[in-house]
Amino acid sequence: MELLQISKKELLEFVGTLVSGPLDVFGVVAHDGRFAYDKLDSAANLRLDFDETLYSPKQYLFPPKDPVLSYTPGDAASCAPVYAEKDQAIIGVHPGDMAAIAMLDKAFTENKIDAHYCTRREKTTLVGIYPTKPGKYRFTSSMIKPEEPYLAADAFLIDMGDDSYTIEIVTDRGKEFFSASAAKPATADGKAKAEKMKTAVKDTVTLKIKREDLPPFLDGKERHPVWETRGAKCFSCGSCVTVCPTCYCFDMLDELDLSFDYGLRFRTWDACVLEPFAVCAGGHNFRTKAADRIRHRLYRKQKYLLEKLGLAGCVGCGRCKTACVPDIAFPPDIDDDLLRKEAHHV
Amino acid sequence: MCEGCGCHEHESIYMPEPLTVVQTHPMTERDRFFEFKLNGKDLGHKPGQFAEISIPGIGEAPISVSSSPTKKGSFEMVIRKVGKVTAAFHDLKPGDTLGVRGPFGTHFPMDEFKGKDLLFFGAGIGLVPLRSAINYALDNRSDYGKIFLLCGFTDISQRLFIDEMESWKKNPSLEFLETIDRGSPQWKGNTGVITTLIPKIKDRLSPRNTKAFIVGPPVMYKFVILELRNMGFRDADVIVSLERRMKCGVGKCGHCQIDGVYVCQEGPVFTLDGIAHLVEAL
Repeated sequence: MELLQISKKELLEFVGTLVSGPLDVFGVVAHDGRFAYDKLDSAANLRLDFDETLYSPKQYLFPPKDPVLSYTPGDAASCAPVYAEKDQAIIGVHPGDMAAIAMLDKAFTENKIDAHYCTRREKTTLVGIYPTKPGKYRFTSSMIKPEEPYLAADAFLIDMGDDSYTIEIVTDRGKEFFSASAAKPATADGKAKAEKMKTAVKDTVTLKIKREDLPPFLDGKERHPVWETRGAKCFSCGSCVTVCPTCYCFDMLDELDLSFDYGLRFRTWDACVLEPFAVCAGGHNFRTKAADRIRHRLYRKQKYLLEKLGLAGCVGCGRCKTACVPDIAFPPDIDDDLLRKEAHHV
Repeated sequence: MCEGCGCHEHESIYMPEPLTVVQTHPMTERDRFFEFKLNGKDLGHKPGQFAEISIPGIGEAPISVSSSPTKKGSFEMVIRKVGKVTAAFHDLKPGDTLGVRGPFGTHFPMDEFKGKDLLFFGAGIGLVPLRSAINYALDNRSDYGKIFLLCGFTDISQRLFIDEMESWKKNPSLEFLETIDRGSPQWKGNTGVITTLIPKIKDRLSPRNTKAFIVGPPVMYKFVILELRNMGFRDADVIVSLERRMKCGVGKCGHCQIDGVYVCQEGPVFTLDGIAHLVEAL
């Protein structure tokens, strides 16, 4: 992998030229003392020293309300697919969120290829950043393998702690992206230091179970009392899903323009923890209880998607712990409960 | 990913094809029969599959195909009015167009069942997808042994395919029995839940050489399965079709999952031994 180095000042100058160009550039900014992804209107607003953002960058690849078809109302022959048209870059994606994008890539391309996702993805340059601060509840090292972020990233930044970044160039797109910057080849010393700096910031939380052991650990625990205990406190509000970088369940929604001359079919975010998620025709709900829904969510995070895609449906960002009002959604807490109850039964 | 992989050049998996209503008539107060045709081709479905039907501007819904693939030139569905989208389907007239995606999902593997006796349990709207397999078997009658068809409805007003049931009743190549849960003065036939029909045919069943099909409301499955197991049916010989909310039909949206299984991909048709380990299945 080609390594470059660039001073912080030069990087900001480079981002400044991007922001004033045709590309939509997204990055982390500070809002009222908290961090959030936003469209950058000035390089000066870009923060690469964030601990964790409220929402993940998935919204730029899988928007909350994304048109997939346009049509004349009532005329099936008029249906035409709608695809993203603008090129975009996201600068400052933590390894966990980058691994989440790798999982989304797989989810939307395995078996049946979703050209709407792929078109937007193909127009996106992804630049990662290794964390410079611990996340309050981060346990990413427990949930992803170090190589998985590189399945999605075009380049990764490493803060060298001396007003410079090392840039790992991952793809040709990443190379092309930084070719207009002032980055120069990294020195041998710089390369060695960069490797150390990647792991300088440690996780705050460590999962007690190895990722590969999670599916068998969860086998047979579908009727464990922990689901009822936590379900009794669940508001079924969907906050855990909204902030999650990997959740990608969706609904379809038709909307007409007020002129009634044309309409759009949207793909909209949905959440398996919401009460009507599994309701069928005639009103039969196959997951009536909050306990069943939060069990399903955790099994998707730690078992189903791992088995289906080979990548975990949780990347250990800890956002769900921050977002969940009754604090019942955090996978390490649930796993601890399952472990404790297991020990108790013995 | 996606650097030169060309995956964005695939056709949209959400793009419907135009479909025309050939004929339609009401079957009950809430169920309506439709014959549809595609422009110059068949849907290409197998018995038990479903398709996503849509009206641009209203929405899309997964609907089982009711006709056998042996019927060429058009296909049939029965749509129950349960919400905004299905209510709009009920307003369609012959010649109107709508959209279709599919067919999707697994099918009743009728070719694998050649030489076997067939025992069908179709309850309520469950008869709609099951009819595709029943008529497939009748159209290939010499491929199968004895055929038993047991149908059940909640009351006389909910009976579906009344003329066709009459023809099945008269057809000497199958044994047809029908019951309704709640009797009425006009009803002269069997009353009681569908399992009350089993004793009437039990002595003619060969559990080890019979494939049993169950499609009906969620509450029915366990009772029928219990009876079948008691008679010596193996779970591998019991075929069920499970209803879930198959919103996208292509294994992405997550709505139809039973545990980790996507019903739109790995179902809706399952053998009982294939789902016995799933806590959310039945």
